[in-house]
Amino acid sequence: MEIYTKAAWIIPLLPLAAFLLLTALGRSYRRAGVLIGTAGALAAFLLSLLVLIGRLGETAVDYSKAFDWITIGDYTLRIGFEVTNLTSMMLVVVTLVSLLVNIYSAGYMKSDERITVFYGYVSLFTFSMLGLVLSDNLLSLYIFWELVGVCSFLLVGFWYARPAAKAAAKKAFIVTRIGDAGLLVAILLLFWYMPDHRLEFTMIQSVFDGPSGAITTELSTLIALLIFLGAVGKSGQFPLHVWLPDAMEGPTPISALIHAATMVAAGVFLIARTYDIFLDSAAAMQTVAYIGGFTAIFAATIALAQNDIKRILAYSTVSQLGYMMMALGLGSLTGGIFHLFTHAFFKALLFLGAGSIIHAVHTQNIQEMGGLGSKMRVTAWTFGIGALALSGIPPLSGFWSKDLILSVALQENKLLFIVGVAAAFCTALYMARLFFLVFMGKPRSSLGGAHESPSVMTIPLMVLAALAVVAGFVETPWNGALGSWLSGGIAEEAHSSGIAIIASIAVGVLGIYLGWLIYVKGSVSRSIVSDKAPWLVMLLERKYFIDECYERILVKPLKGLGTLLMALDSYVIGGAVRLVSAAADSAGKAAVRLQNGQVQTYGIAALLGLVVIVLAIVGRRFWS
Amino acid sequence: MLPSYLTMAAILFCIGLYGALVKRNAVIVLLSIELMLNAVNLNLVAFSKYGVVPALTGQIFSLFTITVAAAEAAVGVAILIALFRSRGTVQVDEYDEMKR
Amino acid sequence: MFTIDFTGEYAAFFLFSAIMICGAVLMIMLEKVVHMVVSMAAVFLGLAGMFVLLEAEFVAFVQVLIYAGAISILMIFGIMMTKHQQAEQAPVKPLKETLAIIGSLSLFGLLFYAIRRTTFPEPLPFQPGEDNTMAIGMTLYTGYMIPFELLSVLLTVAFIGAIVMAKKEAD
Repeated sequence: MEIYTKAAWIIPLLPLAAFLLLTALGRSYRRAGVLIGTAGALAAFLLSLLVLIGRLGETAVDYSKAFDWITIGDYTLRIGFEVTNLTSMMLVVVTLVSLLVNIYSAGYMKSDERITVFYGYVSLFTFSMLGLVLSDNLLSLYIFWELVGVCSFLLVGFWYARPAAKAAAKKAFIVTRIGDAGLLVAILLLFWYMPDHRLEFTMIQSVFDGPSGAITTELSTLIALLIFLGAVGKSGQFPLHVWLPDAMEGPTPISALIHAATMVAAGVFLIARTYDIFLDSAAAMQTVAYIGGFTAIFAATIALAQNDIKRILAYSTVSQLGYMMMALGLGSLTGGIFHLFTHAFFKALLFLGAGSIIHAVHTQNIQEMGGLGSKMRVTAWTFGIGALALSGIPPLSGFWSKDLILSVALQENKLLFIVGVAAAFCTALYMARLFFLVFMGKPRSSLGGAHESPSVMTIPLMVLAALAVVAGFVETPWNGALGSWLSGGIAEEAHSSGIAIIASIAVGVLGIYLGWLIYVKGSVSRSIVSDKAPWLVMLLERKYFIDECYERILVKPLKGLGTLLMALDSYVIGGAVRLVSAAADSAGKAAVRLQNGQVQTYGIAALLGLVVIVLAIVGRRFWS
Repeated sequence: MLPSYLTMAAILFCIGLYGALVKRNAVIVLLSIELMLNAVNLNLVAFSKYGVVPALTGQIFSLFTITVAAAEAAVGVAILIALFRSRGTVQVDEYDEMKR
Repeated sequence: MFTIDFTGEYAAFFLFSAIMICGAVLMIMLEKVVHMVVSMAAVFLGLAGMFVLLEAEFVAFVQVLIYAGAISILMIFGIMMTKHQQAEQAPVKPLKETLAIIGSLSLFGLLFYAIRRTTFPEPLPFQPGEDNTMAIGMTLYTGYMIPFELLSVLLTVAFIGAIVMAKKEAD
């Protein structure tokens, strides 16, 4: 089984080959494009699965291999790959979701003119994400990190004819760039202070793990916070979350793949990879925990008041990523990674289900939907499973991971426990609202043509639904298999707590019941909140005015600065350029006038030249 | 006395130069050039008497100059007549062959 | 600076200078072409006088002969063989004239400055010979034999060329 681990470097190259082939083929080979993209993802998935199986035993040793890339003076930059239990798990998650999205897109993007390009981008993204996962040092991780961002940009703006998609793509790129800058500075700091300028994760682990004293606590706090800034940007944490909901302008399979399951989890993955730096600094851990907790409740409340099905799911993603961050900040690596693992399946499921609905009814507004449950049975059932998993209803996967996080929170920080429970309640409520509004109630006449999606789209849904059910059993309160596997045999302290389980189930059921009362039974009026506190609804609908604040505080002044700089450019620099050209032009015109063919004019020019030269020679006596 | 002669020559030369550059009649331009040559002759002869080593050489040189000037005047007037025949004018500013 | 002892030579120099400058300025200023040539003849004659002052009688004689005689007549013939009705009527371009004046005046300024700045050493006494014409002839036919002969060839060529060019293209 060792052989598969050693061959893990092939995994990213398969989607890359698919991407290159698709780019070379061009747009005309539509069917071939689908096949090539899917084949690349399938091959990568199978190989990843083999790698994972090879590492399932207790004895698996981390394997890394690197070669010299660049030698500058005494310093040699090495690049390579590393397979640990964490990376092998991520490999499977990424390739599996990618494979399912590839299959699903064959139906969803069927009529799109640029489907081959789409598959090319998806393959490129898969390559970048796998490269990010396999990277053995921070520098190559950063390269893939940026590559992933580029793919996200390309895919969000895939329908670039739509102004909203263009704007969203730009926003996603620019906002994540803020975080990326932080990560870059962190890498530079690490490069500067690490012994021998080594950036390998194994070296980072050994430096920060023991009391080597190579890096002071203050410095590691700074580095950790800067890395966290990168994670905040990529994982859509407050205050850089604004790009993620807007990114829903991209095709829905992309939302499932990039903006729910894989890329946004890269921030969590990054923190997990550099966890030793965070462990070195209590302040950084607390920051991570509080930002995560705040994001969880903050995004969950916004999701309550949204009407766009994909935006609800987007805010839900932000909220769940907040959970992961909170778990990491509270010191539970297992909790964060476990939630990442389960979330990837059920959130991809929810997005693909939403895509199936949008495919059928051609609207994203849940107020215009209703009664779809009878027409789209498979979608409704799978979506329901995903919603229950997200709401944390046992025994679905979401329950186990969320319960683990809440147990840790109860033990470590009561405030964050309450926040987590409240966010869980909101999660259950908005998922109930979403589900009941879309699938229950009377069918709308305007949606008469709605029908179940083709099987190429429903099969991925069913696979994901099955995974959403069972994925949670890898780590239960009485069986910490995942935790001990991830940490290499050292079982993490079991956090099982009756209060947490009860609270978790209670708020989940309560949220769903309340949703049922409001949106199905109607015993609680829908407008009860908007009547009593219209400002609250307004606040939630406008997403706490975060975008408006940014517009006022950052975008406007920056645009003003840009206008100023542009004026500077066009008037000062451009003016200088124009002056030079005008000077040359007028000199040329003067020369043309001089060149009038009359000997006397030439004579005058010669005379004046002589006078100037003689004056210069004579004048040199006085001014030298 | 030498500076006075030299100044005189400079005055003549500059007047001749001005005439050669400004006058539009080709005959007058030729005359102005003769004036400039005369100024040079004056210099030569003045140096022949008041130079550091006075000698007849300056006068010999001025004789040569006068001869060449005579040849130049003859050829100049001949060219002028030929030009007039082909262009029908002696206005210098209408001769712009150098532009074509 | 202008410490000049008022000798006879100075008086004569002043007279000739006045004649020459007047002639030159008139040459520039006058309207009719023939008048210009006549004022130019005055300049030539004044210069001949100045040559006499400089003890170069032969050169003065040649000057009168060639310039005041031959070249003036040649120019008058040139004028007669071309039309001059519109002569000097159209005004000259002001820019051109201004530039020419500036150039000429500054050149004169430079020359004047150079002349006044230079301290000329006291010359040895000039020996024009008992007979100036004879002395010049001796020098010309001994020291400058080859240039003299070459010059005669040049003159011949120039005059033949002038005749060829000025001839009507009858054939």
